[in-house]
Amino acid sequence: MLRNRVKELRARHSYTQSDLGKRVDVTRQTIAFIEKGEFSPSITLALKLAQALQTKVDELFWLEGEDENEK
Amino acid sequence: MKNDIRLNYPLWMMAFVALIGAFAYGIHSPTMTKTETSLMLEIGGLEGFVLLASLLLYTILLTVFLVKVTKHNKENPKQKLAIWSIRPPEYLEQDEGMTHITRVAVQKVYTFYTWSLPLLAAVVILFPLTRLMIIYGILALAFIQYLIYYLEIRKHFKEETE
Repeated sequence: MLRNRVKELRARHSYTQSDLGKRVDVTRQTIAFIEKGEFSPSITLALKLAQALQTKVDELFWLEGEDENEK
Repeated sequence: MKNDIRLNYPLWMMAFVALIGAFAYGIHSPTMTKTETSLMLEIGGLEGFVLLASLLLYTILLTVFLVKVTKHNKENPKQKLAIWSIRPPEYLEQDEGMTHITRVAVQKVYTFYTWSLPLLAAVVILFPLTRLMIIYGILALAFIQYLIYYLEIRKHFKEETE
């Protein structure tokens, strides 16, 4: 399962889900689905999210089982 | 999103299916010959009341529904709903996240039909059911289809907070 830090980094940038959704051209609901882990984004969307949150894709997403403390 | 008519569309369809069921009960005495089929209305008694009430309710519900669709189309010119479109209007596919949720719901409905349709056919073949019971069987499948779809989509829209 894919884990992520979208919510954490979004809060750090003081973005709402709508703000972030507008930046990456998806609905607010899709940001919510990603944060809840209900949906794994495409590579394109993952890259857009990383860019919007000023981080790298592998800092934003990782597979369950990898050491989360390193993130 | 919770007030989006596309999200609530299955509920409207479930109501319409239930009313068609009531309407079918009101005209459940068919007369058939080799050359023609006619329907004998039993106006009077329970059937007559159910028939008229269901027709009235259906008309009211349809009017409210059409008003809501018109309002939705005015407010969302890029996501207009076409009543007579072959594509079900409850599909939520603005982006990849919404498409994923729609696909999961559609898969559940498809899974339901793969076993329920043959089962219904087997029941109709094996048991001497009246035409009304067969109609109710078909309407039950339609009702459950919308229920499965609605519950699945609804599950993903719970706890909507930013």
